[in-house]
Amino acid sequence: MIHNSTDVIIKTVARIFIPFIQLYALYVIMHGHYSPGGGFQGGVILGASLILLLITHGERVAMQRISENWITILFSLGVLIYAGIGTLCLFFGGNFLDYGVLAPLLHVSPAAARSLGILGVEIGVGIAVMSVMVSIFYNIARSGPYRNKGTTARRES
Amino acid sequence: MIDFLYGIGFGLCFLVLVVLYRGIFGPGVYNRIAAVSAVGTKTLIILLIMGFIYNRVDMFIDISMVYALLNFVGTLAAAKYLEMEK
Amino acid sequence: MNFWHVLSILFLSGGLFFFATATLGLLRFPDFYTRLHATGKGDTLAVFLCLIGLAFYAGFSLSCLKIIFIAVFMFLAQPTATHAISRAAMKSGVTPWTKEDATK
Repeated sequence: MIHNSTDVIIKTVARIFIPFIQLYALYVIMHGHYSPGGGFQGGVILGASLILLLITHGERVAMQRISENWITILFSLGVLIYAGIGTLCLFFGGNFLDYGVLAPLLHVSPAAARSLGILGVEIGVGIAVMSVMVSIFYNIARSGPYRNKGTTARRES
Repeated sequence: MIDFLYGIGFGLCFLVLVVLYRGIFGPGVYNRIAAVSAVGTKTLIILLIMGFIYNRVDMFIDISMVYALLNFVGTLAAAKYLEMEK
Repeated sequence: MNFWHVLSILFLSGGLFFFATATLGLLRFPDFYTRLHATGKGDTLAVFLCLIGLAFYAGFSLSCLKIIFIAVFMFLAQPTATHAISRAAMKSGVTPWTKEDATK
């Protein structure tokens, strides 16, 4: 059980930074085709922002913001977006993840359809990675009374 | 100017090796957390200088910003996890 | 070598000097809390000066603005991390160094 941090400075600074970290993660996802980034890296940064909320404000506040039911829905939704776009390309006569055949559906040229398809897939991957990271951390945080009796940490003499 | 940036980069790499002494021999765990945070701060500047030397600044700025974020979150998490009751 | 390059060299040299003194403090101080003073304050100022120097070198463009964002973030986040480490050490019972320890 991760307790609330009783310190004003850490809670205030975390509260200032979390929206900006999430905005930066969205920037990293969107600019994956041009600069280092993409779906996986952006998802990790989004997960890091929620983990920051968890370790500074405690488990109760974080679970009120995003409960475990929502996390389960979100990672299924991420995989559904990825596989859904791929299968939609199958229905229109192309191969799996062949975005060019979606051009008449979106009323754009095939090159622009490929760009939009990659963007959609990256968004799905980002949502899935974020929710899996947060779910693993919730699972670790629930485990047991061993938190304050670290066996590897020794006190300085 | 590029030679000057090379000099700063080598100086910072030497300082990272010096700080690792405190990371290996520090008595107790809190000295080691402070040393790791210091190494992360110097690595941020080394990454930016590499970006200027290779003349691709836009790429390395995003990488160094992500590294600053993760260093901050990692230090907070380590300090909270390794805290022991008296 | 125009004016902005000279200013950038000055700021980068100042940043390297503060990094060196902070590292010397981390090695030579007698107690954990004094070492944390050295690395927390010295590293923050040194990173800020180095980043301002690199922002001058990059010219007036989008990269300059992004480097200033990184500088503001480090200026706010590094002292908070130092405070978190110090508070965790205080709760765990690490005692400060007093003058009696010097005469032992």
